[in-house]
Amino acid sequence: MRVKVKPMDCTGCALCELACGFHWDEAFSLISASIMQYRAEEKKDYLGIIVKTEEDLFLGRPEGAEAVKLGELQKGGGGGGASAKPILIREACDMCESVGKDPQCVAICPHDALYVE
Amino acid sequence: MYYGDTLLVNLDTGTTEQFSFDEVGVFGPGLAAGIGLYEKYGDADPLVIGSGLLTGTTAPASCLGFVVGKSPLTGEVAVSPLGLYAGAEVKLSGFAMIVIRGTSDKPVYLWLHDGVADIQDASALWGRDNWETTDAIRQEMGEGLIQVISAGPACEEGSRLASFSIDYWGSGDTAGLGAAMGARKLKAVALRGLGMLDPEDPEAYYEATMEMLAGSPAEPGFGRLSKGLGAGDVDGWLKPMVHRYRSCFACPAACNTFVKYNEPASVLAPDGVDEPGVMVTSAAAALWLMGGGWEAEPACRAMEAMARAGIDQVRGARELAEKPLKDPAGVAAAVSALTGSAAAGWPSSDRVGSGLFGPWVPPLGSPDEWMEAHRLGYLLGICPTYLLTSGIDRGALLGLCGPASGVELDTGRIAEMLP
Repeated sequence: MRVKVKPMDCTGCALCELACGFHWDEAFSLISASIMQYRAEEKKDYLGIIVKTEEDLFLGRPEGAEAVKLGELQKGGGGGGASAKPILIREACDMCESVGKDPQCVAICPHDALYVE
Repeated sequence: MYYGDTLLVNLDTGTTEQFSFDEVGVFGPGLAAGIGLYEKYGDADPLVIGSGLLTGTTAPASCLGFVVGKSPLTGEVAVSPLGLYAGAEVKLSGFAMIVIRGTSDKPVYLWLHDGVADIQDASALWGRDNWETTDAIRQEMGEGLIQVISAGPACEEGSRLASFSIDYWGSGDTAGLGAAMGARKLKAVALRGLGMLDPEDPEAYYEATMEMLAGSPAEPGFGRLSKGLGAGDVDGWLKPMVHRYRSCFACPAACNTFVKYNEPASVLAPDGVDEPGVMVTSAAAALWLMGGGWEAEPACRAMEAMARAGIDQVRGARELAEKPLKDPAGVAAAVSALTGSAAAGWPSSDRVGSGLFGPWVPPLGSPDEWMEAHRLGYLLGICPTYLLTSGIDRGALLGLCGPASGVELDTGRIAEMLP
């Protein structure tokens, strides 16, 4: 079971990042979440979601979703470029088990762009 | 729930200083502090940038920041909104409030990041449009997520249509504060925030916001606005070009509508054209153009041209609506020929805002309800349009202030802070 992404349902509100960051720090920021938007290509409206786990990164790109092993982030172009690198130094998703809740990113998403499977 | 100091920028001398932020205690949160600071430094006719008490958190639609300054259009103090990600980036930039005084002797931009304020030379940016400016600053700083509040060519020239832009997409600056930036030779304010906001009672705050979000409407597009106004189906008009609906920060209602006209809207991969279209952020502009008989494609190209130039899209669209264009080739000339003859406002209403607040927010509800949404929204950092269209429990929203920061607010105190 893991958090997966329907990227074209994402509207870029960042609530998932806030909820995940809160899970780790009991505070709000955009630097500590295990989930991150890839939004560096704003003029193209190219928006994806990356989820870091212990083993891999789940890349929810508009053109398709896939898991890539840690260390292979540079491969595959958009959604895996330099702007996505900060997630490598963050905590891996623990499905919010450490706080005894359902995954908060999924719970908070207003557009059901995230799900567990 | 603020992070960092108050920043005082002196463009006359090219210097900055910081002092401990206690304006919430002195004046009240959000816009109350912004106006308090404006009045404190009023002799210098400053621009004050800030955010609301709850901006940048899981509170629904907590995207709102603001710019306070004297409107070149009226000579009175006015407020323009910072939506999209700009309000949240102000909050997380490391500066609670930013006061900008003086006039630079050369073009500059202000670069705010992680509690550091740098005044950068913008000579090479002067004369460039908002798209070029945003690209250039992001490239210079090597960071694609920087939010750029910029003064386009219309702002540099002091046009009566001037309006600052947020990134590429224009803004709700109907007061001409973009021209106030241009007059100070302030080309842009660039923001990147990696700060952290600590609620007073984190769990109580978070759980209360989750409960609010669970009951929030998530219908995307401008439909909630246009239906409430009894206006036409602007979503249907745009639909053939819609790529995706986009939210402002932390907002469950994705009003903003990204349309593509330089490539098919269905293109998903990032290897298409560099500039496939525009994000339509102004429902009022779209409604004026649609109501004027414009085809959607030239209308969206016109909104792009106005966003690039730093032109208030609402007034520009209202003027353009008088001469509908079917041929996209005529858009650039039509936008260049704008005179600023039209007033800001909405097609279905005579309401033009209040003295302090322009008509960025649709005229929904009674004038008193509209004004209350502005007071609450600008103090807390919640989009007033969301307050007017979501049915959110405003008492519950006020109840967040305690767990956020220990500040207790009620409607009586709000009216005192922002009469």
